[in-house]
Amino acid sequence: MISPKLVEVGRHLNINLVTNSEVKSIEGEPGNFEVTLTNNPRFIDPDICTGCGDCARHCPASAVNQINKGMSDQKATYIEYAQAVPLAFAIDANVCIGCGLCENTCLAKAIRYDDKIRETKVTVGSVILSPGTEGFDPSDLDYLGYGKFPNVVTSEGFERILSAGGPYFGHVMRPLDREEPKSIAWLQCVGSRDTNRCGNGYCSSVCCMYATKEAMIAKEHIHGDLDCAVFNMDMRTVGKDYEKYFLRARDKEGIRFVKARVHTVNEIPETGDLKIRFADEDGEIKEEIFSMVVLSVGLTIPDSAVQLAKRLDIDLDQYNFAKSDPFAPVETSREGIFTCGVFQGPKDIPGSVTEASAAACLAGADLSESRGEDIQTYEVPAEIDIEGQEPRIGVFVCNCGINIGGIVDVPAVQEYAGNLPNVVFTDSNLFTCSQDTQEKIKEKIKEQNLNRVVVASCSPKTHEPMFMETLEACGLNRYLFEMANIRNQDSWIHSKSPDLATQKAKDLVRMAVARAGTLKPLKEKVIRVNQQGLVIGGGISGMNAALNLAKQGFKVILIEKEPILGGFALKLHHTIEGADVREYVKKLISEVQAHENVEILTDAVVTGFGGYKGNFKTELAVGPNKEKRKIDHGAIIVATGADEYQPKEYHYEDDDRIVTQVGLADILEDKGASDFKTVVMIQCVGSRNEEMQECSRICCQNAVKNALHIKRLNPEAQVFVLYRDIRTYGLLEDYYTEAREKGVIFMRFEDDSPPDVTTSSGHITVKTKDHILKRDVEISADLVALSAGMRAADTKELSGIMKLNANPEGYFIEAHVKLRPVDMPGEGIFLCGTAHGPKLISEAISQAQAAASRATTFLARPEIKLSAIAAKVDTDHCVKCLSCVRTCPFDVPVFNTEKKVIEIDEAICHGCGACAGICPRQTIQLGFYEDDQIECKIDALLAGGM
Amino acid sequence: MGEPAIKLGGKKKSVFMDKVRELLPEGGNLNLCLTCGACSSGCPATGLDGMDPRKFLRMAALGMDEEVTSTKWVWMCSLCQRCVYVCPMKIDIPQLVFNARASWPREDRPKGIVGSCDMALRNDTCSAMGATEEDFKFVVEDVLEEYQESQPEFKDMKAPVNKKGTQFFLNQNSREPVTEPDEMVPLWKILDLVGADWTYGTKGWAAENYCMFLADNENWKHIVEVKKKAVEDLECKIWLNTE
Repeated sequence: MISPKLVEVGRHLNINLVTNSEVKSIEGEPGNFEVTLTNNPRFIDPDICTGCGDCARHCPASAVNQINKGMSDQKATYIEYAQAVPLAFAIDANVCIGCGLCENTCLAKAIRYDDKIRETKVTVGSVILSPGTEGFDPSDLDYLGYGKFPNVVTSEGFERILSAGGPYFGHVMRPLDREEPKSIAWLQCVGSRDTNRCGNGYCSSVCCMYATKEAMIAKEHIHGDLDCAVFNMDMRTVGKDYEKYFLRARDKEGIRFVKARVHTVNEIPETGDLKIRFADEDGEIKEEIFSMVVLSVGLTIPDSAVQLAKRLDIDLDQYNFAKSDPFAPVETSREGIFTCGVFQGPKDIPGSVTEASAAACLAGADLSESRGEDIQTYEVPAEIDIEGQEPRIGVFVCNCGINIGGIVDVPAVQEYAGNLPNVVFTDSNLFTCSQDTQEKIKEKIKEQNLNRVVVASCSPKTHEPMFMETLEACGLNRYLFEMANIRNQDSWIHSKSPDLATQKAKDLVRMAVARAGTLKPLKEKVIRVNQQGLVIGGGISGMNAALNLAKQGFKVILIEKEPILGGFALKLHHTIEGADVREYVKKLISEVQAHENVEILTDAVVTGFGGYKGNFKTELAVGPNKEKRKIDHGAIIVATGADEYQPKEYHYEDDDRIVTQVGLADILEDKGASDFKTVVMIQCVGSRNEEMQECSRICCQNAVKNALHIKRLNPEAQVFVLYRDIRTYGLLEDYYTEAREKGVIFMRFEDDSPPDVTTSSGHITVKTKDHILKRDVEISADLVALSAGMRAADTKELSGIMKLNANPEGYFIEAHVKLRPVDMPGEGIFLCGTAHGPKLISEAISQAQAAASRATTFLARPEIKLSAIAAKVDTDHCVKCLSCVRTCPFDVPVFNTEKKVIEIDEAICHGCGACAGICPRQTIQLGFYEDDQIECKIDALLAGGM
Repeated sequence: MGEPAIKLGGKKKSVFMDKVRELLPEGGNLNLCLTCGACSSGCPATGLDGMDPRKFLRMAALGMDEEVTSTKWVWMCSLCQRCVYVCPMKIDIPQLVFNARASWPREDRPKGIVGSCDMALRNDTCSAMGATEEDFKFVVEDVLEEYQESQPEFKDMKAPVNKKGTQFFLNQNSREPVTEPDEMVPLWKILDLVGADWTYGTKGWAAENYCMFLADNENWKHIVEVKKKAVEDLECKIWLNTE
């Protein structure tokens, strides 16, 4: 997944990659920093090195492979991994014996034994620190046996075991005897949530999900039964759709989630198996034997990053994460220096990618005046005219590590492809999407005069644009490309029948080759972009998105359906850190109002929508009189927000002593807590149930925040929190610890036995069961606070008008969870805040900045190319039956009453092909998917004799 | 189960655990329990009397003082600290156990421990087995002589008693001189081979302190003071306690 990003960064003209280097100092001020770099010697010139690997093959000196966590060796001349960017080797001076073999071997003459530490300087306007994380090293936790028992590995090590580029090439084996494990235990919170043995009081946020994922993948890769057990304290699957994944793992795949922390791991010396003793949920002592134990190690900040922060005078918190303000999440303590990723705080990939865009937004805002200077533009070479040429097809078959190659017989598929008509060249690669393979493809296109290219690998959805660019870079029209998806549609789903999978791969390749022969060069239309943005929703997210887009120099129209700006935040008081939400919103509103680039329309709703990316036209009804207004804009940011669920449970509707957490915060703010002797909080009200499977992410911290507030106001008050899993992820864990320290009692209940609340005039009685003592508990309380989950704002009408896709919970869907977390599937449309899913204010702010950043990359181009995949009508043969008009989900085909013809505007056409399919006279053709280009695939498939 | 429901809520009462928290640095972290069960999974006393460290702490946290101060389990715990070793919150459960022991009337505490503590109080040797100053001196000298003779390589080995101004004052568990005198010798040999400057004392030589296990704070303190005085009287620099 990271491969296409690596390639994109590596080939981007305006990214100057400086590897093997450290920042020594940064002088100057925002807009004009002078950065001094220490460039460490690589001993191989990366500009000359071709990455062929001959040096490493001849190198006689071995070293431990750190990337593979010591489970394999590498040479003194090495590259970290096969997809590394830049693809250039290096010499490990600590291991090199100076024999000179590599220098003699290297045909490119890239070896530089006399390479030295150098110092270079660069001038930049802004700085982003993203030094990343390293997994906690559990060697000092002697009771877990890491480093002592070979079959105890860290989760990082297990990731390598699962990886095709790992020590066992993706075959799941245990280190001791390379046997396939029959059972694996994951031990959670190793190096996290532990103030005793490692001092990391925080939750690492990612381990619950990655352990679940690793168990799922291990089960997929293993031939036969595999027992997977995840020993945890709380399962923290708080991200969007994560709860569903967890439930699938538990209920469908049979992965066991055991609520227990293990004391000691012991090895059975005869077998290398590992014995684990734990107290189960009923307090019974159980003993289990596993083939392997995976320690789910937490995220830590490497010492090199701590030293970097010291040199740059960046404030760190007690755990060495960069200090930030909840309302300025990606800003460091030093102006003009921004941060993102785990250095900002523990987080997962979608959060990191989002924050990266946010940091880019702020870094870019400081430089927006000089946008476009100091950059290089990409000159696409003149297109080679292939008119009249016979098809010369090159087929590149991908192993995708072992994703494909582990199931499908790739050499056989390659050989088969070589015998297909028009195929003049074939090749196979470990990863066809890697940087080096792109270079290889280019080379082969030129060398073999290829005029069509077929890649048999994965999904065109993620990889087709990249391969198309590779074609363009050597003068081939990008539409002379075809993919056969032999991974998602083949090896992944037929992993149990490799022979049939190989046969199917041949079929798919034959079909792709047949279609490739029919492809023709297509021209893409260039259109102008209206450089104005529309932001829908005037809450914290929408205002931040609007403000940041405005700061980038673009005009923005911000619309809000209510008469005032502020959104749901107007109902809140303080963040868990104690920051004043109302003050912030007030300040934000006045900043948005004061910005010359922002026009605010309150009491405004969308009534109509048309146009296409770069040229949208939105109709609004504005103000009490519903005045009509039409807006032309190039991009859209959707920030329609969410609300608090209004409970039907626990007598909320008929007793005013039963409130939601938002209601409790109001009470604490207005009246204090002196009246309370006992307050009970109930978690997961309206979340994680049949009606709403998902976790609402923020309610645990909300309960902890209010519990702490009560304890501050009235230390004598007793607070009980009845929960299912406490999900105070990341740095929020410190507040959970503080709440317990202050005497708040947390009691777990199971989802099938929720607490029972009865009210009487005197007090409220809450009945539940203590999860440790397994005894009934009766709490008599003055007030019950329900941690009501989030509900997406009702946007049915809006999404109907604007054709925006939402998930069953009503949250809008992003284009790709990890790679494009704030883009919507339609180009030029972006997403942020709670409209995307439940999140904290700080997270909503960074996401809003990210959306502004992504909108900026779109609006900054004065013109864009449209895809040539659009429908065309042959008006001479059209009978004007209007089937296409009725069928198009986007209302694109129209009947021109003057010219009496059907017209399809290729700028608005989404290229879905529905019209082409429905047209009874076959007078509509979809570019790149013309009838014969599809029929030939079917013919090719049938020719195989099905 | 048939057990009555645990009643919680209402006005906050002062509970046993709060008192223990006040006695301990950082309150022994007693409030911080994550109920993860690492303590119980590693505790040798888990399951005895239907109790384990996590349940015991939980009862204390819920203010179930009657159960906490009456369970016999506190006498089954050996205060070994395996629970604290792995507890992510470093909760001092042994201290909670100790203070629960202290809440028992002395006469109700286990007879063996009470007897051993009382015996140690009888004379200044602090021996829980009642060995006197004379007995100890005699046994040491007798055993030493025997080994000097039978093992010529240790003919110059020493086991000084009441030697003034040595580097180490060595304690000795009573069980050895009284029932297994030969067991004292390996340590003497080590000390001899490394050339340590050490001595026993006729007063305060017994290493064990059952008054501590009994949670009899006053007599625990008394025993420690007797031993301390013995060390000081001989002007030794370091007190080596082998227990």
